[in-house]
Amino acid sequence: MRRTTIAISLLVVAATATTAAETTRWVERTKVDIRAGKGSYYEIVETLVKGDTVDVLKTEDKWVSVRTKNAKTGWVYEAALKPTPVQPGTSEFLKSAPGDTTTSRTAASQGAKGVYAQSYAKEKGYDYGIVTWMESHQPTEPQIEAFLKDPGEKSGGTR
Amino acid sequence: MSRRRSGFFALALALVLAGCQSGSGGGGVIPANIFNAVTQAYTGVNPADVQGATTDIDEAEEIELGRSVATALGSRYKLLRDEALTRYVALVGNAVALQSDRPDLRYYFGVLDTDEINAFAAPGGYVFVTRGTLQLMRDEATLAGVLGHEVGHIALRHHVETIKDQKKAALGKGVGTTAARVGSRFLPGAGGAAASGLANSPLMNLLADGLVNGLLKGWSRGEEEQADVVGVKYATRAGYNGAGLRDFLKAVQDTGKQPASSGFFTKWTETHPGTEDRLKEQENQLKTAPTGGRRAASRFETAMATLPKSTPAAPATTGTPGSKAPSR
Repeated sequence: MRRTTIAISLLVVAATATTAAETTRWVERTKVDIRAGKGSYYEIVETLVKGDTVDVLKTEDKWVSVRTKNAKTGWVYEAALKPTPVQPGTSEFLKSAPGDTTTSRTAASQGAKGVYAQSYAKEKGYDYGIVTWMESHQPTEPQIEAFLKDPGEKSGGTR
Repeated sequence: MSRRRSGFFALALALVLAGCQSGSGGGGVIPANIFNAVTQAYTGVNPADVQGATTDIDEAEEIELGRSVATALGSRYKLLRDEALTRYVALVGNAVALQSDRPDLRYYFGVLDTDEINAFAAPGGYVFVTRGTLQLMRDEATLAGVLGHEVGHIALRHHVETIKDQKKAALGKGVGTTAARVGSRFLPGAGGAAASGLANSPLMNLLADGLVNGLLKGWSRGEEEQADVVGVKYATRAGYNGAGLRDFLKAVQDTGKQPASSGFFTKWTETHPGTEDRLKEQENQLKTAPTGGRRAASRFETAMATLPKSTPAAPATTGTPGSKAPSR
């Protein structure tokens, strides 16, 4: 009886350890945004860089609910994560982009923020305000959510 | 430019022209470590950090190039700054993009104020549809089909492949070396980058120019076919009737006019009956696509209520696109 109990306990411990190991994922991309919901239009909770780890909470529709090292929770697309350790690193672009050149973490979280594009527009005589206007006149997260729930109207389904 | 800086510029230029800035290969006049230290002291950038440019594309780089291309397209055609209309197009676009192969990318949608029937996808998620295109549509499913096609170019990373090819060519010509990467902080790049004070990079500008030219010249037939296929897929996944793209192509055909040979239509129309070929492909795809799906005609009609019927031919907004924009 005692042996059986010990064996079961060991199995439980082993299973728990396996589960714990399986719930860790490594960021494979140079930059990945952890968002408040399963969509790119949700607010960014935190930006991670290559090699960072997250704990997986659950997966739905190829989106993974994660907890970051800073104890923030959010969603990330599964293709951005890897089940095995990833060495930290950055891209040539982020390395040369304005920001924290040591870790590129600042550059990653802010992108180049349009500095190259603004410079390009200035050189060409284009209006960078076009991008600013577009980026600031997109639907909000609640508007998109409401739109997705509203079928608009029933269709005939004919072709 | 100060005398001190000019002196360094002359020295750096000489080194670059001599092909010895890295000091590698045993032929360098100045050892690489000394060159790098001097460069870093003057520019704040160590060439060792930016040399060895590769053709790899970072998503942040793709987005930044997308912004550049968006300014070019928006300036060439003029952006229609109608908040309600833009929001509606973006709602449909987001519904479709959420079903794409890159749902984690942030997409931005805009309407170009031109009668021309066309649509464009810039890298990094910037999508445009023209007023002329919207005027030709009768329901939301059609809009979803066209936006699905454009999102498809982005999701399938067609731009990324183009950028890689351009980078390869640029690197072959030495454009992607240290001088070009560092830009104004090191050498006055093309277009007088030194005066801008921004992180101007001749290589980034070169890539942006190439992308704009590429979009205006058009995608390959294979890329268009792929975008058509996934465009229908994304639209149907989003719950729309899959015949939207076909209906749009048919509407274009029914106008009896030769469509533009750029953006949505591209090379295909220049060398083939184009729209007719695509219609046939659409009919084939629809045989196996899910049936049904919403059309949302009345919602589309309501949203288009503010759409200007036509605008007097006016030059594009700022700058001098007539002389500076890439030719079509």
